[in-house]
Amino acid sequence: MEDMLFYDRLQFAFTITFHYIFPQLTMGLSLMIVYFKWKFLKTKVDKYNDAAKFFMKIFAVNFTMGVVTGIPMEFQFGTNWAKFSELTGGIIGQTLAMEGMFSFFLESSFLALFIFGEKLMGQKLHFLTGFFVFLGSWASGWFILSTNAWMQHPVGHEILDNGKFVLENFSALFTNPWLLPAFLHNQLASVVTSSFVVASIGAFYVLRNKQTEYGKLFLKTGVVFGFISSILVAFPTGDWNAKNVAKHQPATFAAMEGIFHTEEAGSEIVLIGQPNMVEKKLDNKIAVPNILSFLTYQEWHKQIPGIDQFEEENLPDNIPALYYSYHIMVGLGTIFIGVMALALFFLWRKKLHTIKPLLWTIMFLVPFPYIANLTGWYTAELGRQPYLVYGLLKTSEGISPTVSSGNTLFTLLGFVALYMLLGLLFLVLVGKTINEGPTPQTH
Amino acid sequence: MTETLLSLISIFTGIIAANLFGYLKEKYTFGFTGNTLIGVFGSALFIKTFGRLGFSPWSIANKGNFDGLLLIINLLVSALGGILLLIFIKNIFNKMNK
Repeated sequence: MEDMLFYDRLQFAFTITFHYIFPQLTMGLSLMIVYFKWKFLKTKVDKYNDAAKFFMKIFAVNFTMGVVTGIPMEFQFGTNWAKFSELTGGIIGQTLAMEGMFSFFLESSFLALFIFGEKLMGQKLHFLTGFFVFLGSWASGWFILSTNAWMQHPVGHEILDNGKFVLENFSALFTNPWLLPAFLHNQLASVVTSSFVVASIGAFYVLRNKQTEYGKLFLKTGVVFGFISSILVAFPTGDWNAKNVAKHQPATFAAMEGIFHTEEAGSEIVLIGQPNMVEKKLDNKIAVPNILSFLTYQEWHKQIPGIDQFEEENLPDNIPALYYSYHIMVGLGTIFIGVMALALFFLWRKKLHTIKPLLWTIMFLVPFPYIANLTGWYTAELGRQPYLVYGLLKTSEGISPTVSSGNTLFTLLGFVALYMLLGLLFLVLVGKTINEGPTPQTH
Repeated sequence: MTETLLSLISIFTGIIAANLFGYLKEKYTFGFTGNTLIGVFGSALFIKTFGRLGFSPWSIANKGNFDGLLLIINLLVSALGGILLLIFIKNIFNKMNK
C-alpha cells in the first residue's frame, strides 16, 4: 500500500510538473499579446502587431504542448486516483468539466481565428479574438484553481453515509475564501514567467544584433510587465495567500516557515536554515526575530503555533521538501524583483540595451520563474498533505486499490521517455520560431 | 494505467502523419510547426470522437488484457485525424486568405 501510494504520487508529481511548464507561459503571455495588439490599435505602429502575431505563434506551441500533457492527467484521475474520483467526482467534476467546456473551447477556437483570420476580420475583431484567447486561458486558471481551492479548503459540500462528497452549494465553490488570493497569486506568477520570456527573447535579439528593433521593444515590455508583476506576486497576493495558510492550515504554515517550537513572544522569520528532522530544529539558521508574527498578524509578539503543537498524523509528511519549496519560491521571487528593478532603472536611463552583463543575466534567468512557479505549487500540494481534501480525505484513501506499484512504475518510465521526446520537439519548435523572429507587416 | 501512455502514442502518430503528409503533398503543408500542432489536435479529436466505437485506450488496455489489433486501428485513426485536419484547415485557410 505504501509503495502504491508513493508511485502514484511520484507519477502525478512528474506529469503535473511537466504539464505546468506550458500553461504558466500561455496565461501570462496571452495578457501581453492583448497589450501588444491594443498598442497597435492605438498607435498604428506595425511592430506592435508583428509582436502580437510573433508571440501568438509561441503561445500556440505552448498551448498545444499543454493539451498533449494535459490528456494523461485526465486519465490519471481514473487510473491512479479512482477512489478519489469516485468520492469527490460530484464536486471536482463540476469545475473540471467547466474548464474543458468553457475555457478550452474558448481558447482554442479564438486562437485559430487569431492566427488565420486577421485579413478576414479586420484589426478590431482581430484584437477581440486575442482578448477571448486571454479570457479563455485565465478562465481555465480560475476553474482549475477553484478545484484546488476546494481541496485545500473544502466548502459547500455534504458527505453522504457512503463517504461520497456531494455539492450542496454550487456558488460556494467560487466564493471560497481560498480561491481569489490563490488565483491572483498564480496568474501574476504566470505573468512573471511570460515577462521573463519576452524580455529574454528581446535580450537575445539585442545581444545577437539581429531584429534589434523588436529586441528593444520586447525588452522594454518584458521589463515593465516583469517589474509590476514581481512586486504584485509578493505583495499583496503572496502575503494574502500566506495569511490564508496561517488561518486555515496552521500546521502547514508552521512546517513551511520551519517553526519547530512555539515561541512565546512572537515568531522569527527564517532566511536560511536546514530542517533537521531528527532533532526537530533548523540547522545553521539565520533568522530575524518577531518579523513573522508582524507580517502575519501585524503584532510583534503574537504567538504562532509551531510544529510541536500538532499531532504527528496531521503534519505534512515531507517537511524538508515543503520548507525548501517555499523558501526557493520566496528567494527567487526576491531576486526577480531586484533584477527587474535594476533593469527598469537602466530602461528609464535609456541604457538598458547597452549593458551587456544585465542582458545576459535577463536571458539566462528564464528557467528560474518556471522553477519559482513550480516550487510554489509544490508548497501548496506538499502543504496539504497528508490530505487530498484538507482535513476530510487522506491521500492514502484516494488511490486506486487495484493498480499495482509495478504497473505505475512501468508507465512512469514510459512517460519519462515520451515527455523527453515532447520536450525536445517543443524546444525545436520554439527555437525555430525565435530564430526566425517576428515577420514585418507587408502592405 | 497503460491507457495514459497509449493516448500519448496516438498523439505522436498524429504528429508524424501530419508532417509526413505535409512533406509529400506540399500544397497542404503549414511547415513543421504548423503540421505538428495540427497533428496533435487532429489525432486527439479523432480518438476522442471515434474511440467510443471500440478502440479507445481504455478498450485496448482492457483491464490488463492488451489488444494489439485495436491498437493498430487506434493508430491508423490517429494518423487519419492528423491528415484530415491538415487538409481541412488548409482549405479553410485558403478560403479565408483569398
